[in-house]
Parts: sequence; C-alpha cells; structure tokens
Amino acid sequence: MLHRLEFGALVTGAGAAVEAERRGLDLVAVQGDGAWTRLSWIAGVTERIGLVAQIDLAEHAPAVLARSAASLDLLTGGRVTLALADEPGTAEAVEIVRNVLDAGEPRPYRHLGEHYRVPQAQRGPLPAHRIAIWLTGADARSVRLAGRTAEGWIGTPDELAATGKLLDEAAAEVGREAAEIRRVVILDPRAASASEPGAADLFELSVAALLPLVVEHGAGTFLLRTDDPDELRRFAELREVVLRELPEPPPAPIKPAAVRAKRRPGIDYDNVPASLAATAVEPGDLDYARVRSTYMRGGAPGLVLRPRSTGEVADALAFVRAHPGVPFGLRSGGHGMSGRSTNDGGIVLSVQALDTMEVLDAAERLVRIGPGARWADVARFLMPYGWALSSGDYGGVGVSGLATAGGVGWLAREHGLTIDHLRAVKMVLADGSVVRASDDENPDLFWAVRGAGANFGVVTSFDFQVDEVGDVGFAQLVVAADDPADLLVRWGRAIEAAPRTLSGQLIMGPPRPGQPAFAQLMAVVDAADPSVIVDTLQPLAQLAPLYNQNVVLTPYAGIVNNAAEGYHSGQGDPVSRSGLIEHLTPAFAKAAAELIASGAVHWFQIRTVGGAVADIPPAATAYAHRSANFSIVAMGSSERRVDAAFAPLRSHFDGMYLSFETGLDHVADAFPPPTLARLRELKRRYDPAGLFRDNFALGDQS
Amino acid sequence: MTDYGHDLLFGAFVTPSATAGAELAVVADRAGLDLVTFQDHPYVARFHDTWTLLSYAAARTTRIKLAANVLNLPLRQPAVIARSHATLDRLSGGRIELGLGAGAFWDGVEAMGGRRLTAGQSIDALGEAIDIIRQVWDTSTPGPVRASGAYYDVSGAKRGPAPAHAMSIWLGAYKPRMLRLAGRAADGVVPSLSYLPGGINDYADLNRHIDEAAEAAARPPAAVRRLLNINGTFSDFGRSFLDGPAEQWAEDLAGVALDHGVSAFILASDNPADLELFAAEVAPAVRDLVAAERA
Repeated sequence: MLHRLEFGALVTGAGAAVEAERRGLDLVAVQGDGAWTRLSWIAGVTERIGLVAQIDLAEHAPAVLARSAASLDLLTGGRVTLALADEPGTAEAVEIVRNVLDAGEPRPYRHLGEHYRVPQAQRGPLPAHRIAIWLTGADARSVRLAGRTAEGWIGTPDELAATGKLLDEAAAEVGREAAEIRRVVILDPRAASASEPGAADLFELSVAALLPLVVEHGAGTFLLRTDDPDELRRFAELREVVLRELPEPPPAPIKPAAVRAKRRPGIDYDNVPASLAATAVEPGDLDYARVRSTYMRGGAPGLVLRPRSTGEVADALAFVRAHPGVPFGLRSGGHGMSGRSTNDGGIVLSVQALDTMEVLDAAERLVRIGPGARWADVARFLMPYGWALSSGDYGGVGVSGLATAGGVGWLAREHGLTIDHLRAVKMVLADGSVVRASDDENPDLFWAVRGAGANFGVVTSFDFQVDEVGDVGFAQLVVAADDPADLLVRWGRAIEAAPRTLSGQLIMGPPRPGQPAFAQLMAVVDAADPSVIVDTLQPLAQLAPLYNQNVVLTPYAGIVNNAAEGYHSGQGDPVSRSGLIEHLTPAFAKAAAELIASGAVHWFQIRTVGGAVADIPPAATAYAHRSANFSIVAMGSSERRVDAAFAPLRSHFDGMYLSFETGLDHVADAFPPPTLARLRELKRRYDPAGLFRDNFALGDQS
Repeated sequence: MTDYGHDLLFGAFVTPSATAGAELAVVADRAGLDLVTFQDHPYVARFHDTWTLLSYAAARTTRIKLAANVLNLPLRQPAVIARSHATLDRLSGGRIELGLGAGAFWDGVEAMGGRRLTAGQSIDALGEAIDIIRQVWDTSTPGPVRASGAYYDVSGAKRGPAPAHAMSIWLGAYKPRMLRLAGRAADGVVPSLSYLPGGINDYADLNRHIDEAAEAAARPPAAVRRLLNINGTFSDFGRSFLDGPAEQWAEDLAGVALDHGVSAFILASDNPADLELFAAEVAPAVRDLVAAERA
C-alpha cells in the first residue's frame, strides 16, 4: 500500500458533485466538453471536496492552463488536480504547466518545442498547494511518461494490473520512488468490461473486490463513474468500511525526487529536527517561492526553518549550531535592508509563525506581541483599545527586526522609539537556553536587545507598554524643491520648532528631465481637532509652493495599513547608507542636495527623531545616538557610486541607524565606543562562538 | 439627446486579483448591481485566469450577470470561447454575456506563445471569431460549423452547446474600424472612459461610427448596446465629473445616458463600499432621472 486511499466520483453534473461532497467522498472528477468550466463551477458550489479536471489539450494552451489551474487552486484553498490524456505534445505540456506554476523562479519561462512555443512567459500565480498532474494512457509509452513525470496515472482495473510494473520501472529510472505516483482506478459499472465474467464483484463495490487492487497493484484512488445518488451513497459507505479495515498508510510524505535534486551542499536535510520537519521549506518545495526572497532582495536559501513555538526555536538553533560553516539568517517580516533575512545556500530561521498578540494588563497598557506579527497587524490589534505603538512607516515590516534595532516611526517625537516601549522579552540564546530579560532579569541582555538584539538571540515574545492614541492627522504634501538645499534647511528648522505631536519625513528622488524638482513631505499630527492639525502643519505647508496636498483624520492603524498582499519577490542587491544628525545645517544640506542631484541614489529620505527619543539617556539602551533630530537614508544600486556620493555627508553625522544600512562593516558607526565595548563584552558572554554572525556581527575586536 | 431605448444596467469592473475578485462579485450580487465584469490579461501572472474566476464567481452568486471585460481573443480559441460561455450560461441560468477584445499588449501575447497581429489584422480576426462563435451557438442550423478564414479554420467543428439565453457579444471598441465591426456584427460596445482621449464627449463619435455601420448592415442602431466603464471618487463635496456625492454622480451619469445613449455604467472599483453606494444610491437615482426624461 503506497498511499492513503481516496474515493471519488467521476461525474457529469454539478448536482452529483455536491452530493459526492455531502456523502463524504474525497474528490470529484469531470471530463469531456467544457470540463474546466464545469469544474470551476463545481468549485464554487462545494467547500471541501478535491477537484480533478481531465483537460483536452486541443482546447487549452498549456501556459494559460497553468494560470487557470493556479487560479482555481487559490480560489479553493488547494483543491485542484489536473489530468491530461497522453497525446502528442503532452510531455511538453506537462513541462510548461509545471514551469509556469514555478512562481519562485525569478526568470521568465521559455520553451521552444515541437508542439508548443512559449517565448517568455511570466511565471505564476503561485498556487495554494502543489498541483498534481495525472496522466492517462495504458500503452507502454504513456505509462513510461507517467512514471517519469506525473504525480498520478489513471486507468481501468485491468490496465492497472497490466501496467503497474512498468510504472515502477520508469519511475526508478529517473530516481523517483513508486510512491510518488498515485495510481487512480476508474470503476465504470456501465462499461463493456463490467459485463465480463468475474467483473460483477468489482462493480458490486465490495471490499473483497477492491482489496487486491490496493494490495497487489498499489491502487491509491478509486473513481466511480456515476451521477447516481444511490451509487454515490453506497460508494461512500464502502469508503468507510475500507478505511476502517485497511492498515494505516506510510507516515511521512516523501520528498519527491525533483525536490531532493535541488538540495544545497553542506545542509544535513535528513536530520532536520522532527519538530520542524513538517514546516521546513527547501528549494524544491512549493512554499519556497513564499520564503526565499525579501522585500528588496532576491534570495536562495538552502533551508528555511519555521518554528511555531519557543521550544522549536531552540530546536532550530541546535540544528544551526551543527552547521558552523553555513550562512545563517533570521527573518521576521523580510524587510531587513541589510539583506540578512535571506541568503544563498544557507539556513534561514523564520519567526513568521510566532505572531500571537495579547493584552497582559489593560490598566498598564501592557501587551505581548510575537516576533512574526507585522506592524499593520499590531496597529489593528491595538486600535479597538484606543492604543498605538509607534513602529516604522510601513505596515508590512515584521515586529522583531524593528523592535530589536530601534523603530523610527510616525509618533517618534512624541512617544519615542519602539524599543523605548519594551518592558521585557523572552528569548532563546545561542546555546539554546530560554531566558527572560527586563530591567529586573538579565538587565545586561535587556540593554543589549534594545538596539543590537540580532547579535544576542531569537526573541520569541515582546512585552510592550503602548500609548493612548486617538485619531491623528496624516498629511501628504508635495512641494516644489527648486532649491533642494534651502528646502532641507527650512524643513529641518520647521521640524525642530514644531511641537512633539508632529513627526514625519521628507522624501526626494533624483531630478527627472522635463519635470520640476519636488519633495514629498509626510507628517503625522497627534491631535483630533482639525484646526489644531492644520495649524501644526502650517509651517510645513508654507515651505514652498504646494503641488499637491492631502490631509486626513485617521486612526494610527490607517496610516500603517499599507502592507502589500502576498509574499515578497524582491530582486537585486540594493545599497543603503544611513546617518543620524542633530541639525540640517546649510553645509549638510548643500552636500545632501549634491547627493540627490548626482543620480547615484534613487531614494533619499529623512525621518524625524529627537523629542521623546532624546529623553532617554544614551547609556540606557544599546541604541545610543539619542541626540539626533533626524535619521537619514539614501539608497542606490552601485556600492561604489553610492559611497562616493555619500562620503561628503559623513562628516556631519553623529552615528547611524542599523536598520537603514547595508554596509555590514559599519558596526562602529552604529554604536559609540562605550556602547560598542559593552556590547562586545556581552557578546563574548552570551554568544562566544558567534552563532549570530551574519547581521552586523559585533565581532571580538576589543 | 440620443437614446437607443435600452433598460439601464449598473455594474462593477473588478480587478481579477488573488483574494478579492470572487468576494467582490458576491458583494456586487448582494448589493443589487446588474453586472460584474473582470478584465482579462492572461500574460499577467499576478492576476487570476479571468474565465476560471468568472466561472467560480458565477457559482457563488445567484442573480447578477457576469462577463469578461473584455476577453483576450489572441490567447483563446473562438470555438472554445463559444462552448465555455454556453456551458456556463446553462449552469448559471442565463447569467453570462460575452465581452470580447481584439487584443492589446502584443508583447505579452507573444511572450505566452500567441500570434502577434497588427491592429487591422486583429480586427479582421475578431470578425472571424464572432462568426465562429455565433455558428457554434446556433444549434438550429444543421451541419457542422463552416468557417475557414485567414486567421481561424474550424470548418467541420460540431455545433453546440447553445447558451441558455440569447447571449450578447460586447466588444471593447474605440477606433472607427473596430466600431464599424461592432455596428455590423456585435450586440454592444464597452469602452473605458479613461481611454477616451477627449473624455465623455468622444462617445458621440463612437456612436456615429457604430450607427452608420449598423445601418449599412441593415441593423437598427439599437441592436448595439452602448456600455461604459467608468471610474470616479465618492466625496462629500462635488468637484468635477464623477467626483462628488452620490447625487452628483447620478446627475453626471443621467446626462451621459441622455446625451449619448449609454445604457450601462460599469464602475471600476475594488472597494466594496463604493460598489454598495453605486448600487444603493446612484443606480436608482439615474434610473429615475432618465425615466423622467424619457416620459
């Protein structure tokens, strides 16, 4: 016995499909004219049952068919299987469908074959599950094709008996196991063979008749060709009896040969801890497309571990400790600019599944947030309480990357950094031990986590004290920037003169031919009274002629409700440089304007800090550059060009912010000497072997 | 005043994206809209396959009509389009119409293995396709389909199934040659307001080409319904065309209906609240205003 047995119906009408689902059958199949349209309709009137369409390739271009199949799979939460008749061109069609569905592969798909030409198809959409392809055909050529490439073969009982060996042989020739191919048997009580001597038992639908097909020939799926409600009922009853009487099928699903072939060297895939095996993702897996890349970068990790509990995080770290030479990344939301939440051929520990949120103490506004939640989720969670926690400016960012580095957000000047709201963490250290850190427990560690957390462990829950925040004003202005340096200076002065209730940012890009230079100014004013909001914004609106303006009154959650749907599919390797600065002096502004005009950076942003951020003493957390009023980030694509253009700005800076920097060797700019010395001492104590080594490693240079 | 005498239809033009498409069809159905439509770009991987989404959405709705807006002919076969539409029309109790386009974005078509045609060729191909589709649907004429043209040769194909109702063919049409095809052979045109370079007043030119071609083909101009994809913003204070409160929208659209004979307004929006407002406040008000003028 190779598979968990499935019982389905090969129907013509939607009513029979609904009846098959109601009776508890596992799947429903359609074939013939309009099969795909009928299956799509059936998908809409059923909720659970598996869906199989036998496709006529004369009517469906394979590349379009792949998208159709992925669509229905997404709409139905992964219920779809494709069946194809073996005709000339089927082998090519199988290849095209599989490749178009392989959405994790960044390059377009090209196939120039004898039967089909697909010069440059975009891949995707990514289906909800791995869509199996079953092939029909009892002649040797068809059976061999199924053995080599399909997830299933379909035939009559007689055909199965005759072809099973050949199927196994063909599979073995390409390194596949027999269990990779489900044998699907069509039972047709009205077929000519049904009247042959000895066939009667089979279509009496008795256990005794089906058992030999399972035990001797490896049948895994039975499809009864009928629309008759009474036959569907009897078949469903038979299903119950067979499942009761047969032994359990083999436990773990096998990794198909095609997946094993994509494994990367140096990773002991066969010894992934049992607790993590079911959720781990490797390059050939369907989910790989969802976890390989980040918001800004393409990645190709060899293994992504996705723990669901603190214990599983400890298991994952044990596995990482056994792979000392392999790159190791930590991932929450996948936005990290340094690019270390993915890698090439290494291990990534994704905390995405640790996304719970709960209120610990309503009177104290104390909440416990999982590292894998995203800030849009956190904002939505807090909104009904009238609370908010300033994070970054984008809701798609994950909690733990930001909350272990700083968190320069929309309420920073009024309420401080995200880390300033942290009261305690639970974390797993490099040696696998689980500790709490707060002002009272492991205070050294708690100090280090707030600014340099990625060097010390994996936080599995954050306790934050959040703020009461009602509706706020959110302004988006586009202003003329004919003299960018002058605008920067005057914007800086306006910000420093503004009340703490105002936080915001300025964005400028390279000049575009034929377009006037402009800057985007965004600001949040924490006030519910529109006239107060307008008054507070006035100094910004008067800086330069307005090209566009939009001011809305919104809950904080409305501002960070801007996370894109779906998974990250970033490509490339961006270069980002960061600096913290106290005042936007004319000399700095002149250098910045030259940087923007150079074309070396496509993104130049200044966020406001200062205010409440500066109320915290520099020595209180590992994030120490508290006196800065502004955080600057510049992004480009060429490291050489960006560094050359950015160099004149550096003399104006007082440190930088790790989260906006891609230069991993700039650790000393992120931490002033006393902070860095203390961090290195703690690194020796908590992570002496340097397990957390790939993201701004503190190193041992004291 | 131009009036072809059609009843007014109000619809939704929904992006066929991963999560929202089918749900928005259900929203439109419940809200009381007459029609929900999806654009079709099979070369764009982030969109659903429009025909699959439409079939699925048809099964999850009870009352609303559904159509592609418009189906990409170059990557689909006319006979298959005819049969699949007829199949779904029978399953849905006659709720399917056929929106069809000659194709655009030829790079995308070619990348998927489709045939690159010039604009003129693509209109000729569309003309052939309409003929094939009507033959497949026509099960009352004996014998197989007879069609061997420059672009499609399906002579000998079997006829049927026939749709459950007299299905309309609506063309995405803007330019004279396409409009003449519509006047000669289609049951409607469905341009998008945002693609009319001169705005809504361009519709007068569209009508002129359609009407002339219809009359030349001995068809009444009213045989071709005039639809319009619209987009706009619901806001508290009226500012401009389709930017204002629902009452202003109603006046704007009633004006278009009465000036240009447009009888179907399809709102491009993925926002459930917009669709509900369109159905609840704009549609009845437009109907009242137009009925009053017609009376």
